[in-house]
Amino acid sequence: MAQFHLEMKVNGKPIALDIDPGLRLLDVLRDILHLTGTKEGCGEGECGACSVILDDELVDSCLILAPQAHGRGVITIEGLALNGELDPYQQAFLEVGAVQCGYCTPGMILAARVLLNHNPKPSKQDIAKAISGNLCRCTGYAKIVQGIEIAASLKETKAGVSRA
Amino acid sequence: MPDLSEYYQPQSLTTALELLAKSGGKLRPLAGGTDIVPAMSKGELKADGLVDLSKLPDIQRISVDGNEVKIGSLTTFTQIETSPLIRAKASLLAEAAAAVGSPQIRNLGTIGGNIANASPAADTVTALVTLDAKARLDSLKGSRRVLVSELLCGAGKTNIHPQEIITEINFKIPPPGSKTGFIKLGRRKALAIARMNLAIIFNVKEERISFARVGLGAVGPNPRRYVVLENSLLGQTPSEVLIEKFAIEAECEVTRVLGSRPSAVYKCEAVKGIARDLLTKLFLDSGQGVV
Repeated sequence: MAQFHLEMKVNGKPIALDIDPGLRLLDVLRDILHLTGTKEGCGEGECGACSVILDDELVDSCLILAPQAHGRGVITIEGLALNGELDPYQQAFLEVGAVQCGYCTPGMILAARVLLNHNPKPSKQDIAKAISGNLCRCTGYAKIVQGIEIAASLKETKAGVSRA
Repeated sequence: MPDLSEYYQPQSLTTALELLAKSGGKLRPLAGGTDIVPAMSKGELKADGLVDLSKLPDIQRISVDGNEVKIGSLTTFTQIETSPLIRAKASLLAEAAAAVGSPQIRNLGTIGGNIANASPAADTVTALVTLDAKARLDSLKGSRRVLVSELLCGAGKTNIHPQEIITEINFKIPPPGSKTGFIKLGRRKALAIARMNLAIIFNVKEERISFARVGLGAVGPNPRRYVVLENSLLGQTPSEVLIEKFAIEAECEVTRVLGSRPSAVYKCEAVKGIARDLLTKLFLDSGQGVV
């Protein structure tokens, strides 16, 4: 069995591990690094529950092998809160009740983060497109879209405060 | 979990080709991974080892050389969808890339992988065969360029040799003034595998269509051009009557190809719908997809 020496940044922290190269990025995050916020749903890229941010792009961590993330930066849901303080996305989802069973939530929040990084004032249509790879079977999406709209305005307020 | 006895991540194309040549067919190239990785995880696909192409430089680039567009095989669907060059010169391909899977899949999946995977419903392949695109295949023995349509030889089958890698896709920019477009019929907008997809390129001179290309996917084993449908447009003046005539021709073609398959009843009807939608958009909207 071959081993692969994997180096990547996870939530800003450098990681070096010798792993079985057949492991998916999802397996390394959950089973080795114990970052269990990232969920496995369908295991074939249909549901988006395993979404993580890889070098500023949203990807399904079940669709790539961990070595493909070698030398790159990964952000998971655990990387969002800072010193125990929720980030605007998490705060907004809580406020509007965009979370029911919670299984899709990490992927949804990361999808929102990528969207707002590229497009700080998204329309409802932009939001729908940005979360089109993430399934939710509880909320009917309305609260999630609302949560992302609130996150956008929270971020704008924060940016305004820091500029002032 | 797939049991891989070997895994390589070469930093140069030559090293990648040497690895493939030496392995005697045991190693498989890995591009984006979106099809291979889940298939291996579920045990549907076995590979002894992989040559991961993700660190190869120079094959993730879109460029133009004279009237030819060149796309590195590891270019992702997102890169193609958002490329100003592809949008301006081959909008049908940008539209096809935008129709693939979901944002997450488009950020990983590659155009070379879409060809090598040889799915009958591959969205960008329908656009590529309509453009008469060629793939460049490299091996230690040298390189060859083959029409994408000739590289495909059945559902999931290609003529790519085990020691070869697709490194580039190239096609001639359609004649100036051409209009191009792509349409996909899926069960829903995101994440659906195409039930059918259609790509069209045409050029009008003195009110008559002087150049026409039509490609259909998810009808036969691989997407391909349909010359009968191209001929039904050539020499004609764009009009509502022509749209209807084309829709009926498309129905006849699909009926002929599918014969008595169970999906035929649905697809023969459905092709008329996508044909009408796409041609109406291209005939009526003067700014849409003009080269």
